[in-house]
Amino acid sequence: MATQHSRAAARLMISPSVILLLGWMLIPLGMTLYFSFLRYNLLMPGNNPFVGWENYAYFLTDPAFQSAIVNTLLLVGGVLLITVVGGTFLAILLDQPMWGQGIVRILVIAPFFVMPTVSALVWKNMFMNPVNGLFAYLAKALGMQPFDFLAQAPLASIIGIVSWQWLPFATLILLTAMQSLDSEQLEAAEMDGASPLARFWYITLPHLSRAITVVILIQTIFLLSIFAEILVTTNGGPGTASTNLTYLVYAESLLRFDVGTGSAGGVVAIILANIVAIFLMRMIGKNLDA
Amino acid sequence: MGRITLDQVTKSFGDVEVIPPLDLTIEDGEFVVFVGPSGCGKSTLLRLIAGLEDVSSGQIRIDREDATHLPPAKRSLAMVFQSYALYPHMSVKKNIAFPMKMAGIPKDEQERRIENAAKVLNLTDYLDRRPGQLSGGQRQRVAIGRAIVREPAAFLFDEPLSNLDAALRVGMRLEISELHNRLATTMIYVTHDQVEAMTMADKIVVLHAGRIEQVGSPLELYRTPRNLFVAGFIGSPRMNLLGGPEAAKHDARTVGIRPEHIRVSRESGNWTGTVGVAEHLGSDTFFHVHVPGWDDPITVRAEGEVDLRHGDTVHLTPDPDRLHRFDAEGMRIA
Repeated sequence: MATQHSRAAARLMISPSVILLLGWMLIPLGMTLYFSFLRYNLLMPGNNPFVGWENYAYFLTDPAFQSAIVNTLLLVGGVLLITVVGGTFLAILLDQPMWGQGIVRILVIAPFFVMPTVSALVWKNMFMNPVNGLFAYLAKALGMQPFDFLAQAPLASIIGIVSWQWLPFATLILLTAMQSLDSEQLEAAEMDGASPLARFWYITLPHLSRAITVVILIQTIFLLSIFAEILVTTNGGPGTASTNLTYLVYAESLLRFDVGTGSAGGVVAIILANIVAIFLMRMIGKNLDA
Repeated sequence: MGRITLDQVTKSFGDVEVIPPLDLTIEDGEFVVFVGPSGCGKSTLLRLIAGLEDVSSGQIRIDREDATHLPPAKRSLAMVFQSYALYPHMSVKKNIAFPMKMAGIPKDEQERRIENAAKVLNLTDYLDRRPGQLSGGQRQRVAIGRAIVREPAAFLFDEPLSNLDAALRVGMRLEISELHNRLATTMIYVTHDQVEAMTMADKIVVLHAGRIEQVGSPLELYRTPRNLFVAGFIGSPRMNLLGGPEAAKHDARTVGIRPEHIRVSRESGNWTGTVGVAEHLGSDTFFHVHVPGWDDPITVRAEGEVDLRHGDTVHLTPDPDRLHRFDAEGMRIA
């Protein structure tokens, strides 16, 4: 089928989808780049002069920028740590034969189906609220002062909410990986005198390493752009305590109506995301070979 | 020392009894083969001895010590699995070292034993490779190496050769037999292949539906099968089993005669039939002879190259001394 003619036909056939995809990516990217070099403020309509690197200089020297970077890394790192460790633990539990396994597994997956805005609102109003929340109720029942999660520990609270959402994903991937482990390997290790802990450490964990890599890579992509949870809970505050890079870009463009600086922030975010991606691929991408 | 005694051992999975009460003694240094068709409980029996399954009742003794409730690691047995069960992320060396590492054996002693095992098994050049880079036979040798270094009281083999191709299987069969001669350690070997059983065993245990049908040396089983099942299972090609009037002539419900104990002649004989399929192997020739009035063709082995073809009429004479007689329950009539 690989004649000159069929190859030309194949190119022609796939061109609509390729062109559509390219347009989908390149036009917004090009416009973002273009806007990032203009003084473009929605509060000052009129001519939008070209200002060179001014927007970038403004964005990068903004004190909020540094804390946004730190918050983004803390958010991604914290959620990754909780979901990978917790997911492995849950996967081990769910892998045990037990009564009602099917239902329990569906229940575990359930948080993943809840929209980010909804789950964040549920956490904010029903659990973490210092007056009406379940945690406040528990604290009061024990005679303690209710803790105002979103005011006292905003970033940690958001890490908790996001972890709750992503734990099922990690659990599911790690569970399927665990089920693909040859049981004879575990039995061989048992015959070899390995304790349950040693079996986990020397047999199960290395077997899971590839699945863990996949979980980390996929989650990092999504966690870098966490937005809805912050918007509906803390609005990035107090101050910039829970502002990540995505939220900062939003704040620049749509709260301060400065499209030019927002675009510059978007370009910075793209570059940073790629740096993180390169680091990740270097560190753990080799696990995906062979 | 590796004397293993099973005393009234049973195993049930839920309501299903896979192993009815069973007694068996395996002497120190013996090469014992458990053989039987698939699903006969031979692997389960091996796993009971290994401790990977708990017995439902009865007692397992290893060197007179009650090992019934000991965990697998404490039984000083080493097992070689059908799938080899090597640890894919460890090098060959680390695989072999793993049981010693778990047992906390000093590093230099580990090195010494690994070197020895590698020499015995021709693995010296492969120590730094991963299992994924080895061929089936090499992986099998690594699995055996991992068993050897533990210096166990007995080796357990669970169909170790069934994943290898035919040529390699013959080679590994010899290697395992040689290993047994050299180590003189008790070995228990599970297989469904009666050729493996006949060639390797000191003692064969024929299992059927969880029951021991017969225990004996390969030739004992060949010469005096205790019942119809053993008669049909041991020997290749299978023994011819005849019922009806032919058996009645010998005061039995069924008579059996092995293909190699029937004489083929063109001129005269007890039975007359026509050749169906003829298999010419060079050293031997197997004929499937259809005798009028009998349901199944008779398999006959003739030595060397015999020029008989499909459709030829032949006369068969069984060797009367080699006739096996069985009663209505399928038991041997002495």
